[in-house]
Amino acid sequence: MSTAGRISQVMKGVPMKPVMSANPVEARRRVLTLYKQWYRATPKIIEKFQLPYTVEKVHNRIREEFMKNSHVRDVRAIDLLVIKGQMDLQETIKMWKQPCHIKSYFHQETAVEVPTDFLGKFFTQKH
Amino acid sequence: MLRIATQKCCDQLPSRFLPFLSTKSGAAVATRRHQSTDDKVEVFVNDKPVYVKPGSTVLQACEIAGIQIPRFCYHDRLSVAGNCRMCLVEIEKSPKPQASCAMPVMKGMRIKPDSDVSKKAREGVMEFLLANHPLDCPICDQGGECDLQDQSMMFGSDRSRFLEHKRAVEDKNIGPLIKTIMTRCIQCTRCVRFADEVAGVSDLGTTGRGNDMQIGTYVEKMFKSEMSGNVIDICPVGALTSKPYAFTARPWETRKTETVDVMDAVGSNIVVSTRAGDVLRIIPRLHEDINEEWISDKTRFAYDGLKRQRLTQPMLRNKQGQLVTCLWEDALPFVAEKLSTTEGSKVAGIVGGFADAESLICLKDLLNHVDSEGLCTEELFITDGAGTDLRSNYLLNTTIAGVEEADLVLLIGTNPRFEAPLFNARLRKSWIHNELEVALVGSKVDLTYSYEHLGDSTTTLKQIADGTHPFSKRLKDAKNPMVVVGSEVFSREDAFGVHAAVSAIAQNATVTSQTNRGDGGADWKVLNILHKVASQVAALDLGYKPGVDHIRKNPPSLLFILGADGGAVTREDLPKDCCVVYIGSHGDVSAPFADVILPGAAYTEKPGTYVNTEGRAQQTQAAVSPPGSAREDWKIIRALSEISGMTLPYDDLEGVRSRMSEVSPNLTRYDAVESANYFKQAAELAKLAKPQLVSKPLQSSQLSLADFYMTDSISRASKTMAKCVKAANEGLTPDL
Amino acid sequence: MLASAKQMLSVLVRQNVRSIHKSAAVSSGAIFNHTDTPENNANTPFDFTPENYKRIDAIMANYPEGHKVAAVMPILDVAQRQHGWLPISAMNKVASVLEVPPMRVYEVATFYTMYNRNPVGKYHLQLCTTTPCMLCGSDAILKTIQDKLGIKVGETTKDKMFTLMEVECLGACVNAPMIQINDFYYEDLKPSDMEEILDDLKAGRTPRAGPRSGRFACEPLGGLTSLTETPTGPGFGVRDDL
Repeated sequence: MSTAGRISQVMKGVPMKPVMSANPVEARRRVLTLYKQWYRATPKIIEKFQLPYTVEKVHNRIREEFMKNSHVRDVRAIDLLVIKGQMDLQETIKMWKQPCHIKSYFHQETAVEVPTDFLGKFFTQKH
Repeated sequence: MLRIATQKCCDQLPSRFLPFLSTKSGAAVATRRHQSTDDKVEVFVNDKPVYVKPGSTVLQACEIAGIQIPRFCYHDRLSVAGNCRMCLVEIEKSPKPQASCAMPVMKGMRIKPDSDVSKKAREGVMEFLLANHPLDCPICDQGGECDLQDQSMMFGSDRSRFLEHKRAVEDKNIGPLIKTIMTRCIQCTRCVRFADEVAGVSDLGTTGRGNDMQIGTYVEKMFKSEMSGNVIDICPVGALTSKPYAFTARPWETRKTETVDVMDAVGSNIVVSTRAGDVLRIIPRLHEDINEEWISDKTRFAYDGLKRQRLTQPMLRNKQGQLVTCLWEDALPFVAEKLSTTEGSKVAGIVGGFADAESLICLKDLLNHVDSEGLCTEELFITDGAGTDLRSNYLLNTTIAGVEEADLVLLIGTNPRFEAPLFNARLRKSWIHNELEVALVGSKVDLTYSYEHLGDSTTTLKQIADGTHPFSKRLKDAKNPMVVVGSEVFSREDAFGVHAAVSAIAQNATVTSQTNRGDGGADWKVLNILHKVASQVAALDLGYKPGVDHIRKNPPSLLFILGADGGAVTREDLPKDCCVVYIGSHGDVSAPFADVILPGAAYTEKPGTYVNTEGRAQQTQAAVSPPGSAREDWKIIRALSEISGMTLPYDDLEGVRSRMSEVSPNLTRYDAVESANYFKQAAELAKLAKPQLVSKPLQSSQLSLADFYMTDSISRASKTMAKCVKAANEGLTPDL
Repeated sequence: MLASAKQMLSVLVRQNVRSIHKSAAVSSGAIFNHTDTPENNANTPFDFTPENYKRIDAIMANYPEGHKVAAVMPILDVAQRQHGWLPISAMNKVASVLEVPPMRVYEVATFYTMYNRNPVGKYHLQLCTTTPCMLCGSDAILKTIQDKLGIKVGETTKDKMFTLMEVECLGACVNAPMIQINDFYYEDLKPSDMEEILDDLKAGRTPRAGPRSGRFACEPLGGLTSLTETPTGPGFGVRDDL
């Protein structure tokens, strides 16, 4: 649970000042808006960063990132995540990020698994 | 009991009190035992009352008050010279500022180290010192750790009024270790006093006078001391710097790792400076009970041997009989295959002087797992009588610091000056300040102090043990006698006889010394064994057999050599089909005849446990990573065990260490001397076995300085040490 | 025009004071390192004569046990008198006689200027040229010696008879100018006196030491100017009743 969520639990009954959205419906709308913005920007991002991925693949990856937070129900927390997502989007389309930052989202496939057993460590690492 | 209690209390005091407690006068050592707060003098430092011991100096009083007085010539462990004048302070009712390092405190003295007079005096002295000091800090090796640099920033003026020429002095060539730039010298005479008092080699002195005075040897000669490198540390300026380290690095660029030396069995505490995985230099670290703040030249300068002759890749001998590099994945299964197909009684291991306790326990566990008992150390010891069963039989029981309380030392078959330079330095310190008397049975050598040479025959030993030798009388009268046996004695065929005679001497002396002191049960220990290699005590603690006799009697078909390069076993001693596996860091004596080479780490590259000759466990730290695909030795054995299907039940350092402490708990009680007992029983066991003595004279193999430098695989690989041997044998050759 | 430029230049030079060293480096000119030479090396034969060994024993007996090292100065003197100067081998010999490290002897021998660590002639001429002697004409004496012997300051004649040195004040200013030849002072010198002394030495005679002006010691040349009356007897100026 996010910090904001915890606070809201503690302060149950106490009216909280909203970040942006007044109710869950409004928050949901904001999330969808951000999602659409990302979707629309995808072809541009691929072109600018010369990514070796298809639009579909990037779309899936964006969707994955959104779904990571699908459990969040706190309106204030959702708002903050949206704000972060917007910042991320801006950094991406204005090319404040480097290609390596974008590629790191797709890195799981190429990452080498670090051995955890003694022999594996012995053969690969000095320490 | 009281002694132990007060000693403990001294140990708990913060380190800045220590120099004050360990002043060099004989009286100071005595007072270290019986210290009370009553007999102290009250003085005022900046109007703050401080209580100090009568006879201490104004400088020490200020230090206790927490005020550091600048100094150049004053050094805790050297006599007071009082010639640099940097420590001038104002003392009330004194017409002029006084040199605080040489001024004893008086009752009610009011010291004003921060007054205007004091400050002005320092500034003036600093101006004079800098008048003749070159401004070559940018090319000076002392830069960044220079007392003159630091103190001129703290206490000096921001400009000079001198317009005269600066004095220049010719550089001296005093050997391959110390670089001299004598123009930088400020004539503090610390090096001269060190050479005179600590090293005991009076080669340095001051020649000329006035403006022309200079420090040097007058005639061109090598500074022939086994501890010469320490003058580099005590030189407050860049006049004496390290020749091998010259122009290498600035102190702020290096990473410092506090670790322990393994070049001898003393276990000096050291700091290893590294940069980018390179060992750049080794300097001493303070340990009052071991090396104080000195280290031997082998400790300090043999580090370039860590970069030469290294084994970096696993190797296998091919069909043509050549060793070719291979992968760990090839080498380990090959050995594992041999290990699992060889009968346990045909498997053996020899460990050398640099083996850490971790790899010792791993090798022992692995070999015991295949039912092998052939675990031997290369260094010899006795196996008869109490053998290695009683720890007191093989330790330096008095401890190194204990030398300062001894009044009579009998050295047998040893040359401590080269076998354990720091132990010898302690003996010399006690000889100077505590009227320690020394006698030697063995080769007549220069120990840097005078001693009574009782000859080198075993008959003398027998006579001393019988009480028929005149020396027995003196041993009988001694209050705190010590008997020190060199480990070389144990390579004789009558090693047991010598050890038995020595234990008899020690046992007699223990009894008489108790009556002489009149304290009956006090735990003064007389019998001491001085080992030569760092691994021996840990190996014996873990239950290794001393000497390779077992292997000669039961020829193995699989032999593990763990860094044993002393040449105890050669290819000729082994059966033709014997597979030799060498685990170690250097391609020295044993690696060339091995069938498999598994490259290990040197002492600067692994966290390891070493027990020094006193029985004090200490740990080294990894300062750099092992070269190439070398691995820590214990991990090699652990990996081998897994591949051969008898996995050792630990896979990290904590696991190995907890296994070590199961076998011998003292191995993980770091920095504590685990004392041993049962001297009487050991002596009685020796009597039962009726040991014999032969008439071969007791000799030492390291007789002169040239024999000191190259004794093990690291120092044999060191270019600096080779240069030292050459200089010691043939005299100086101009280098640069 | 030219003069004013010169003046300006001198002003400039004076302002740029830090780049000008006003004084020469202070140095005695002696070298406090030993370098092996054919006549001065560790193998230069040197051993005390039996008489000198006896003398050394007598000197050592003056010092209490444990402080025999203090005899280093008189014994170095014995060595120098025997050999004429102090080769490194003689210093080593002194060290072995005293049972101290050689360095301790080198320290003493280099500290004192009267130990000659380089060869000197049979007669070591040490002419004082400090201010009082210089004012009284030591320059003329120096010139006389140089002309007569054909050597400059610091040199030795070819026959190894004379070495000429300029030294600082020898404490006989009242009899200036003066010269020390080996152990003797020759004072109140005129160039002619100097020539006579050198001739005597060359001929193997020992000239009489002391003032050449007819004075006995350092009394005024023209007789006493004070304390001329008869000294008063005991009891002078004391109360009658005491």
